[in-house]
Amino acid sequence: MEEIRIGVYVCWCGTNIAKMVDVEAVAKAMREIPGVIVAKDYKYMCSDPGQELIIQDIKEHNLNRVVVSACSPRIHELTFRKALENAGLNPYMFEMANIREHDSWVHTDRAEATQKAKALVAGAINRVRWHESLDKRSVEINPATLIIGGGIAGISAALEIADAGKQVYLVEKQSQLGGTVAKLDLLFPHLDSAQQLIQPKINRAMNHLSIQCFLNAEIREVFGYIGNFEAKVYQKDDLETEIQFGNVIVATGLKPFDPSKIDQLNYKRLPNVITSLELEEKLLSGNLVMDNGKDPKHIALIHCIGSRNKNHHEYCSRTCCNTALKYSNQIRSAFPDAAIYEIYSDIRSFGKGCEELYTHTARQDVMFLMYDQKGEVPKITEARHSEKVNMMLEFREQLSGEHVEVPADLVVLMVAMEAHENAKEIAHAVGVSMCGNSFYIEKHPKLDPVATTTGGVYVVGSCQSPKDIPDSVSQARAAAARIMADINFGSVEVEVTTAVVNEDICCGCQTCISVCPYTAIHFDAEKNVSVVNEILCKGCGTCGSACPTGAIRSRHFTDKQILSQIEGLMSMQLQH
Amino acid sequence: MSYRVDFTLKHDLKKFGIHDWNECFHCGNCTAICPMTKTGSLFPRKDIRLLQMGLKDKLATNLDPWLCYYCGECTETCPRDANPGELMMSLRRYLTSVYDWTGLSKKFYTSHFWEFGFIFFFFCAVIASFLIWLPLSGNTAELINDQGGVMINNLVAGISGASFVNIIEIGDWTMAILVAGLLISNILHMFYRVVIRDKEVKVPVYAYITEFWSLIWQFMTQSKFSKCEGKTYWVGHLLLMTGYSIMFAVIVVLLPEFQIEEVRPWYNWQRLMGYYATFGILFFLVYVTISRIRKSDWKSKFSHPTDWLFIVMLGLTTITGILVHIFRIGGMVSATYYMYVIHLAVLVPMILVEVPFSKWSHLAYRPFAIYFDRLKEYSRKSQNENKLVRAA
Amino acid sequence: MEFEPTIVAFLCNWCSYTGADLAGTSRMKYASNIRVIRVMCSGRVEPTFVLKAFREGADGVLICGCHPGDCHYHEGNYKCLRRYHLLQNYIEQMGMDKRRLHLDWISASEGKQFAELVDKMTQTIKELGPCQVKHSVETLT
Repeated sequence: MEEIRIGVYVCWCGTNIAKMVDVEAVAKAMREIPGVIVAKDYKYMCSDPGQELIIQDIKEHNLNRVVVSACSPRIHELTFRKALENAGLNPYMFEMANIREHDSWVHTDRAEATQKAKALVAGAINRVRWHESLDKRSVEINPATLIIGGGIAGISAALEIADAGKQVYLVEKQSQLGGTVAKLDLLFPHLDSAQQLIQPKINRAMNHLSIQCFLNAEIREVFGYIGNFEAKVYQKDDLETEIQFGNVIVATGLKPFDPSKIDQLNYKRLPNVITSLELEEKLLSGNLVMDNGKDPKHIALIHCIGSRNKNHHEYCSRTCCNTALKYSNQIRSAFPDAAIYEIYSDIRSFGKGCEELYTHTARQDVMFLMYDQKGEVPKITEARHSEKVNMMLEFREQLSGEHVEVPADLVVLMVAMEAHENAKEIAHAVGVSMCGNSFYIEKHPKLDPVATTTGGVYVVGSCQSPKDIPDSVSQARAAAARIMADINFGSVEVEVTTAVVNEDICCGCQTCISVCPYTAIHFDAEKNVSVVNEILCKGCGTCGSACPTGAIRSRHFTDKQILSQIEGLMSMQLQH
Repeated sequence: MSYRVDFTLKHDLKKFGIHDWNECFHCGNCTAICPMTKTGSLFPRKDIRLLQMGLKDKLATNLDPWLCYYCGECTETCPRDANPGELMMSLRRYLTSVYDWTGLSKKFYTSHFWEFGFIFFFFCAVIASFLIWLPLSGNTAELINDQGGVMINNLVAGISGASFVNIIEIGDWTMAILVAGLLISNILHMFYRVVIRDKEVKVPVYAYITEFWSLIWQFMTQSKFSKCEGKTYWVGHLLLMTGYSIMFAVIVVLLPEFQIEEVRPWYNWQRLMGYYATFGILFFLVYVTISRIRKSDWKSKFSHPTDWLFIVMLGLTTITGILVHIFRIGGMVSATYYMYVIHLAVLVPMILVEVPFSKWSHLAYRPFAIYFDRLKEYSRKSQNENKLVRAA
Repeated sequence: MEFEPTIVAFLCNWCSYTGADLAGTSRMKYASNIRVIRVMCSGRVEPTFVLKAFREGADGVLICGCHPGDCHYHEGNYKCLRRYHLLQNYIEQMGMDKRRLHLDWISASEGKQFAELVDKMTQTIKELGPCQVKHSVETLT
């Protein structure tokens, strides 16, 4: 076996680490550990000169293992692996010790933090001894794409991919495409027609030669892995279609919050309390009247129904403020003399042209009244017979500090956007995770906002979080671009840190097969051993920890590596 | 207790000079910059809010607009150009109409027809009452006294000097009592709206006495006003106020000592008082006229028609008064007579319109507002103390 | 001098390690007694790892995974949970307090919960005092 020559690099991260950890002392202590050839500290390891330092040392000192102790490996592991590759080393001969997020940023005693850093780095050094070269693997990509959800996001992505000549399977739960946008009248901030926007797109998608639309359809399970998925599309009358595809875009959208959950709104009990989507219906039909067919004289719009409240949804639904402002303008042009009340909790009219919409609306003689959405929403009751209006709203107005009564003929509830009830089934079918609000989680909120932690599966539009049309379309097209890039390249690299069976030790008990969540292990009856399908394996390691004989190894997370890391950690424990 | 929002109030207030109530988004900059803001109060932002929401009842119990002297700092620094200073000014006009139980104030503020009609009527009435006695009695030389001045009280044929002064004095007293009666009843009305009707306030009886000094002190010194920026304005305003009060006292209470036949030397108290009052009023008039024309500061940028009317009427009264004085000393009999008639014809409607119903009424409302405000504060404090005692 | 325990923690890559990172980026402060080892899934944590940690002198072992239903690998955390109950019985039979081994769920957004968990666990182990496994093994051999 070759001699192990380890280079250790302790990052200052400016003052982020150096302020709380004595980086020089850490580097010095590491030099004492057998196998460590060089141990250095440097201001910014991730900078070009920092990486260059590692590359030079690898060449100069013939290093074959590298440990960088810096920030979280979730941030810069790939950066340093690339550096190793550039120096001619296998990128997996690298280990990172997290002495920033897990140390300097969370502790207040410099001596303790330094001691902890030493332990973490020593653990990494011990681990990296047992690292082995792993080779990249790639698989071919099926150029077809499955898109679940035929709203504005799904259609946009479908057209983008189909226009490039690639096959798209567009699966829609409803009987027609268009999603929520097809139910809207006008759009903020410019009050242009939603129908003129969506209908041509629907027509194009329905008639596109490269798009196969499945209406009244659903996907229950998706099998396979990036580049090579397969699924069945279930339609009415037990119609099943088998499809194969290389990528999946989830664009299942959202549904409106049900305000009857909030008792004092009296939704459903008072006929003139309606939701924003019900108002859209009235506006689309051009018949903005009360239940008795008369024109309303006092119209109240209540914001944040179901949003920004611990009892319902803590998040902001992002579009309701602008939508409510849009309504004020529409109502004002329908009824020039009507009293319009925007009962809001904070006006959040961000976005291009939207603050302008707010300013414009404020000049349309609209009364803005602020309520506390964290406390109680306005109470809506039937007005006394002596009153000239239908209903009376009561709440504490925040900016004046007074309890006020607002007369109303028509109340519009700006309901929150929330995830579909079956969001979880879709998540399980395609293998994406959900946040606490049942929205799908993207791979990285800032740097990888449409991909997911499952290769080949993308989330776009309001199933990922509440969104307006521009954001949904941007995401849809971004995902389409990502997929087109992979299709164009023809193949994609897949995870190499998979499990592997040592057939000499395997006793054929098949415990691993029973624990594998991906059916990635099958039993070779002839040899009486388990065999891992490395394409299906995602490297969770559950089989490895279940294997009674130690025949299954989780690459890059082997027993040897982790046990050795524990030894390293404990070699620098606190003195007591 | 909850208040009903009123969509129409903002529109009604347009006539009182409010241009734009939408711009304010309640950042609170005005409250932070205002030298009059007391700890814990939201003045003047909250008043803008009440206006935006049309909380009529709450506005009527609210004294804040009277505590503002319109230095204009809020308007100058307002990030939204919402012009809080002018909103407060307009609210004062509105409150004047709220306190006035006769409803005339609202008519004058909102209708030119009513305002000018009223003024024109009294202008004509005064002139008509003098026309009865025209022409002048016989020989004008008889009307020149030893000092060479016009004997002003003998201008009317058939009426002796003493009777003439008596008639004018009775007229003055009638007017003064009428005006005072209106003002006092309006102040009582104001007291009812802001103190009695405010359920949150209970004023102990002795507080009425202990806090009374603030009323007098404020009236005399306008010390609160001096807290605002712009000392010239404060001095000018004080000159005007004292000048006007002296003049008022002189023509009502001291008329027999003031409107006399002999021309006393210039250093006589009677002439000095007149000169001081004239100077005080003129100084301020010139000052505000220039600034309103130049729009040199914030409070002069927006002039409601009633602001100009006030300046014009007061200016005319002062100028005609000065001319009467000059003509009289110069021995110009006819000129003295006609100018005297014109002087009274301008003065009477000015007093009758401005003092009880319009801009002048603030001379009563403002000190009383400060007084009532102190009463309310006193009550709040003692209620809080009671709560603390009970809690303990 | 007060007893300062050493706690070895196994955090799953997707939820708990990210949650611990979040505690760092949010600059939350917690006890420095913890030493983190990253595994892809809490299901990867073998009993051997836990026992090894005690053998090497750890006074406590913490395992954190995704909340039930949120496992990146669908159900690795359930497997970990089953193993955890068995392991607790095991270490109890070895004569250790079973509180020295603790399993908890930390999601990627629960930086605060992670910091609180570490402080609580450190406090518990401090009350239990030093773990004697390493000492006993060394005396016996």
